[in-house]
Amino acid sequence: MLLVALLACPLLAAALAVPGILTRASVARAGAALSGLAFLLSIVLAGRVLAGGVVSFGPEEFLRVDGLSAVLLLVVTGVGFVALWFGEGGARPPAAGTEGGAETGRRYHALAGLFLFTMLLAVTVNNVGVMWVAIEATTIATAFLIGLHRSKAALEASWKYILIGSVGIALAFVGTVLAYFNFVQRVGSTPYALHWTVLSRVAVLLDPDVTRLAFVFVLVGYGTKAGLAPMHTWLPDAHSEAPAPISAMMSGSLLAVALYAILRFKVVVDACLGTSFTDRMLILTALVTLAVAALLLTRQANYKRLLAYSSVEHMGLMCLGSALGAPGVIAALLHALTHAAAKSMAFLLAGEIRDRYGTASLASVRGLLRAMPWTGALFAAGILALLGLPPAGLFLSEMMLLRAGFTAGRPWVMGMVLALLVLIFPALLTHLNRMLYGEPPEGTPRGDHPRRLMPLGLNLAVLLVLGLWIPGPLARLLWRAAEIVAP
Amino acid sequence: MAPALFSRLVTLASSLVLLSGLAVLWRHSLAAYIRTFARQSFLIVLAILLIAAQERDVRLCVVAALVLVIKVVLIPRVLHRVQRHVAADFEIHPYVNTPLSLVIAGALTLMSYAVAAPVVSLADLPTRGGIPLALATVFVGLFIIISRRSALSQIIGFLILENGIALLAVLATFGVPLIVELGVFLDVLLGVLVMQVFVYRIRETFDTIDVDRMKDLRH
Repeated sequence: MLLVALLACPLLAAALAVPGILTRASVARAGAALSGLAFLLSIVLAGRVLAGGVVSFGPEEFLRVDGLSAVLLLVVTGVGFVALWFGEGGARPPAAGTEGGAETGRRYHALAGLFLFTMLLAVTVNNVGVMWVAIEATTIATAFLIGLHRSKAALEASWKYILIGSVGIALAFVGTVLAYFNFVQRVGSTPYALHWTVLSRVAVLLDPDVTRLAFVFVLVGYGTKAGLAPMHTWLPDAHSEAPAPISAMMSGSLLAVALYAILRFKVVVDACLGTSFTDRMLILTALVTLAVAALLLTRQANYKRLLAYSSVEHMGLMCLGSALGAPGVIAALLHALTHAAAKSMAFLLAGEIRDRYGTASLASVRGLLRAMPWTGALFAAGILALLGLPPAGLFLSEMMLLRAGFTAGRPWVMGMVLALLVLIFPALLTHLNRMLYGEPPEGTPRGDHPRRLMPLGLNLAVLLVLGLWIPGPLARLLWRAAEIVAP
Repeated sequence: MAPALFSRLVTLASSLVLLSGLAVLWRHSLAAYIRTFARQSFLIVLAILLIAAQERDVRLCVVAALVLVIKVVLIPRVLHRVQRHVAADFEIHPYVNTPLSLVIAGALTLMSYAVAAPVVSLADLPTRGGIPLALATVFVGLFIIISRRSALSQIIGFLILENGIALLAVLATFGVPLIVELGVFLDVLLGVLVMQVFVYRIRETFDTIDVDRMKDLRH
């Protein structure tokens, strides 16, 4: 029941946005409150998972939350809560100044609710076919959200996004069909053949060649949604053009949800073929992704795109971690949590900065610390965290990742990863420096309100706490998840 | 029906599906693209009904009815309306010209036979002859998206790819579970509805639906 309540929260929020039920301001407040409730429910669910192992609902465990799902639920609802709360705080509608602002506002809240719902469904449903449907639906829900501002760039970004996203995800469906075909040929037809629990139980019986083929399609398909190179081309456009709360949710949680889908298939494929095949594929993808991110990060002229490319980099790291055995998976999932906290904070603040300076161009933003002392300081904290500096949580997760790599006997891979990270470091730091110091342009209003930034306290707390130590229950939850992915 | 005849008919239907995908490569009128897509979807309905009759599977009849309503009637109607409204008649300068497109499509078909080899060898189904053809349809759809410049042609490419997958699903597994099938139909329909809205907006903003004109965002 808890699970159903969790899924109902964002759906209810979306339904409340229908005109005639609530005023626009209360729609926003209801959205924030319901996503907060969803976050609380996820924490309770994670507790149940720690106590009992699995929480499920429906015939043959239609909805099913295990350790892995629980971690993802925390990421999705946590980011959703902060993003919607933050977006609600100001009187600023997402498309201020455009005609039909109220209409746009309602549409924004309805789609944001649906977006959150589809992500929650994707990580709680047991059937990999329905998981596919949910992840495809995230594309549909977010396409309009990216295009909300109706500028030329936003239009181009949303077209690229919906086209590349739909095609990528269609290829993931080919992989899903092949997995189902494999099952039916080897085991026989059952209505639950696409249930992840059933698939992984009979995986040893599956045909290795078809399994390999299915995984390639799945990796390319969901990899497109996860922003893994070379299928990442839509990501910097979409993430930089979307309204700030949506950018935060897309970068912080949607990418991780897509990687989750790959991990679910990895378990099945590994049970059939052993881990070496998927590990090799994932490591190769991760290295290409990191290289692309490192090369393109250095030459960005727009700070929202900078953040987007940084997401590509961090997805590369998570992808790498998931190929390094149980310690690597723990590091990757911890990284998903810490990256979600840091990146959603950075994107939300970038939205504020853009509103103040009226541009997302790196060259035009100067003197951030003078114009917006609180925002500037937090933004700096977010970027430093994303660089993996202590005491932020990403430092710890990246260290764990590197150690997992060396223990797994892959010093060459880790050497390359370190080199690429070193390339990224000065690029981001130089850009940050230029933004923070100097004189703001003439006529830029000064001052900001720490109260408005309150929701980000959650992000800061997560980053700081996880930078110092991993609380016992979280450590146990991560172990549960790692045991599932790398038994 | 005798198994040999059934198997041959299924392969024939699959070849026609691939062939109608290829038709997009040598034609230039967008209206013809949409009609071609409707025809291809109808061929898929026939293939599904054929399998449904042979297997005496009522569930597949439901799927066939859904394809008929959504892909043969609804989506083409929506697309024809879009095409008339944005007054775009032709795919004028595709990135790849017709002869080269056909050569590439041929190569893609050969490649699908190689890729599908493990699938075909595992299958003991009478329908297995069509599996590489379905996969080739997927790749041809992908190629259409990459090589054409009009936003409408790209939608058609996506739909052809989607048709290839639908055919693959029915040939290889006699249809995925109904709940998944329903979700897929819903996603395709919603996806096309969202895409058509963007075609209107692109036309409104850029005065053309040539996506090559959208190049503010590079790197």
